[in-house]
Amino acid sequence: MSVKIGFLINPIAGMGGRVGLKGTDNVLETAVKLGAQPIARLKAEEMLCEFSSISVNHPDLVWITCDGDMGNNELEAVGIKNKQIIYSPTGNTTSANDTKAASKIFLNHHLDLLIFCGGDGTARDIFTIIDKKIPLLGIPAGVKMHSGVFGITTKATAKILQEFINKRLTVGDAEIMDLDEELYRKGEWKVRLYGIVKGIIEPTYIQVGKTYFESVSDDEVKEELAEHVKDELEKYQDWMFLFCSGGTIDYIAKKLNIKHTLLGIDAIYQKQLIAVDVNEEQILQLLKKYPKAKILLSPIGAQGFILGRGNLQLSPAVINKIGIENIIVIATPSKLIHTPILRVDTGDKQLDHCFAKQGYLMVVIGYRLSRVVKLQTNSF
Amino acid sequence: MTQITKRNANKFLKDEYDELVKNHIEWNICVLESGSKPHSIVNGKEVIMMCSNNYLNLSNHPRLIKGAIEAAKKYGAGSGSVRAIAGTLKIHTEVEKRLAKFKRTESALIYQTGFAANSGLIPQLVGEGDIVISDELNHGSIIDGVRLTKADRAIFKHRDMSDLERVLKDADKKYRRILIITDGVFSMDGDIAPMDKIVKLANEFGAMTYVDDAHGEGVIGEDGRGIGAHFHIEGKIDVEMGTFSKAFGVVGGLIAGSQDLVNFAYNKSRTWLLSGSHPPAVSGAQLAAIDVLETEPEHVRRLWDNTKYFKKELNSLGFNTGGSETPITPVIVGDSGKAKELSNKLFDEGIFALPIVFPMVARDKARIRTMINAGLTKKDLDFALDKFGKLGKQLSII
Repeated sequence: MSVKIGFLINPIAGMGGRVGLKGTDNVLETAVKLGAQPIARLKAEEMLCEFSSISVNHPDLVWITCDGDMGNNELEAVGIKNKQIIYSPTGNTTSANDTKAASKIFLNHHLDLLIFCGGDGTARDIFTIIDKKIPLLGIPAGVKMHSGVFGITTKATAKILQEFINKRLTVGDAEIMDLDEELYRKGEWKVRLYGIVKGIIEPTYIQVGKTYFESVSDDEVKEELAEHVKDELEKYQDWMFLFCSGGTIDYIAKKLNIKHTLLGIDAIYQKQLIAVDVNEEQILQLLKKYPKAKILLSPIGAQGFILGRGNLQLSPAVINKIGIENIIVIATPSKLIHTPILRVDTGDKQLDHCFAKQGYLMVVIGYRLSRVVKLQTNSF
Repeated sequence: MTQITKRNANKFLKDEYDELVKNHIEWNICVLESGSKPHSIVNGKEVIMMCSNNYLNLSNHPRLIKGAIEAAKKYGAGSGSVRAIAGTLKIHTEVEKRLAKFKRTESALIYQTGFAANSGLIPQLVGEGDIVISDELNHGSIIDGVRLTKADRAIFKHRDMSDLERVLKDADKKYRRILIITDGVFSMDGDIAPMDKIVKLANEFGAMTYVDDAHGEGVIGEDGRGIGAHFHIEGKIDVEMGTFSKAFGVVGGLIAGSQDLVNFAYNKSRTWLLSGSHPPAVSGAQLAAIDVLETEPEHVRRLWDNTKYFKKELNSLGFNTGGSETPITPVIVGDSGKAKELSNKLFDEGIFALPIVFPMVARDKARIRTMINAGLTKKDLDFALDKFGKLGKQLSII
C-alpha cells in the first residue's frame, strides 16, 4: 500500500533568529537587510539526506510537494524521484499565504503525514487550514519552536519519519504553541497555546500475554485518565476544579460531559461547569466563593511546561492561594517519553523556588496510577 | 418459520484469533514429548532445553517422583474440596511447616499457583486510601493483583532507590497504608531487586514489603532459600511470595512470613478460598523438593557453575549478556527480526531458546533469553556455545 507524505518548506523560516528578531513573520525585508541567510532549505535537506541514509528504498512512498524552494528543489537535490508537485508559489518571495494555500491543496490528497520545515509560525499557519485532518511532523528550522510537532533535531526528525513509515509510531494529540503577539506588542515574551493537531507519538503498550504486549491507542489511555478524574471529582465533592488547556484535558472533559474550552481554563464544581475561559481576576473571585480548589493540568508543547506557557491565567497569586499540593498533573505515558522533564516558569522567583525545592512531581499516568517526574524551574 | 439470528455470539472468537495470526503474535504451542529435561523432545526434535524454569532439574529427580507416587498412594488422586472446607490434607500442612523452616520465617502458606497468590493476596493488603508502590518492570501477575485493589498505584524507576524514596516521601503524607512491591529476580534481565535497601526504606516510612521471588526461589541465597537469605534479611521482608513451579520443579504458589500474615492471607484471599487444593501428588513432590534442597546442595552449586561458565564463554565470544546476576542469561541481539531469526536457527541446530522482542524489551535490546539448568553437562554447554558462536557470526551479531 502506498504511503503519501506531504512535504512543505517555509523557505524564509528561521531567518529572523540569527539577526535577533523574534520570528520572520512580517519582517522578512528587515531580516534580509540585517544579513539573514535562508536556513530552512538547509535543514530540510539535512533531514532528507539522513532519511535516505537510514531507510531502505520504499517504492510505495510518494512525496506530495510544492514547486521550487517550497519543497521540490530539496527533494531533487537528494535524488527523490517519486514525487508530485501540487502547488507553485506565485511571487518571487513566499509568505504565510503560500503555506496556507498549499495546505488547502494538501487536504485533497489523502496524505498519511505532512512534513513541514519551519517554526511555530509555520506550524500555526498550517494548523489554521489542516486542523486535525492530517498528522503533522515539523523539521525544526524556525526561530521559535515550542509546538509539540517538531523533531528535536533534523536527524531525530528523519528517524521519526522512518519509524512512522514502518508503523512503529502512531498518531496522537500535539499542541500548536506560539508567541502571544498581543502581549509581545506590550513588551512581554509569553508563549500561548493556539490549538491541538495530530502529531506522531510513541505508542503505549500493555501486557496482555506473558510475552507479548499490545499497543493501546492514545484515546484508550485518556479514557483511563478520565476515569481517574471522575473519581477525583466524586471524592472532592465540595472542591472547585480548574480544568486547564490541552488535548488530554479536553478529552477528559468531553468524556465527563463537561463543555470545555479547549484553549482556556474552565471552572467546574460538582461536575458542573460554573465559569468558562476564566482569566486571573475571575479565578481569584471564584476562589473567594470556593476556597477549596484543585488545578488539573497537563504538560503542553515540546518542552514539557506545566506552568508558564499557555496558561498564564494561573498566576503566582492564584497558585499561592490554591497551594502547590492541589495541582494535579496528568499526562499520557507517550507524552512523558518526549518530555521526561517537566518545567515550571511562573515568573515569581519565590514560587519557582518552592517548586525547585520539591524537585519532583507525581504525575498521574493512568487510572489511579502515577509516577515521579523530574521538575525543572529554569526558564528558556 | 425462519429463525432470525440477532447476532453471531461466537464470531469474535475467530476474528480475534485471526487478527493475532495476521500480526504474528499468536502462541504456537511447542509440545514436549519427553518431560521437561535438559535434553527434551520438542515438536518431535531432540533439543537442548534452554528456556524452561526448571533451574535445578528437580522435575525429573527420583525423590520428587517417588514423593508424588507415595502421596498419591496414601491420599488418592484428588483432594476433594477447597482448603477452607474439607480439602486440607495433612500433607498440605506438612509442606507449609517444612517450607517455613526452609525459608526461616515464622509461617508459610501454599496457594494453588503463584498467580493465585499475587492476585488473591495483594488486593487484600491494600484498599481505598492506600497506595501500592511498584517497580516499573514488575511481572504481569503483580500488575493484575494491583488492578484488583481500590488503592492508588505509583511506579518507581527500575531498581532506583532514590526514585522509590521520592515516591515514599510523597505517599507518606497522603495515604493510610503503603505497600512496596517488587520482583525479586526480574524475569527479563535476570537482575536482582536491592531488597536490603528496600526493606530499610520501608522501615523508615512504615511501609509493608512484598517480594515476588518466583525466579529467586531455589536459585539465590544459601541452598536456594531465596532473596531473604541472599541479603541475609530472612524474616524481615513482610511477604516473601514464590512458586514451586520453577526451581522446585513442581507447581504451586507460596507465601512466607509471620503467622499474622498467614492467618490474614488464608481468611481473605479469594483465590485460595475458592479453588480446589493441590492433589496429594503435588504436595508429595513439593515436600521431596524441600528435602532435596536441604540435603543435596550440589544442584544449586551446579546451576551456578553452569551459569558462570556459560556467561563467561558467551562474553568471550563477544556477546552482550546485559546486567544479569542470575541464571537468566539474556543474549542481546539488538534488532527484533534478528533475535527471531537467531532463535529459529538455534532450534534447527538443536537448541531451544526463545526470543524476547520489542515491546517486552527496548527496541534495540531484543534478545534470546537463555535459562541455565543444573542438569546441563559441560558438553551440552559447549555444544550450545559453539552454535551461538557460529550463528552469531553468520548474523553479524559478534
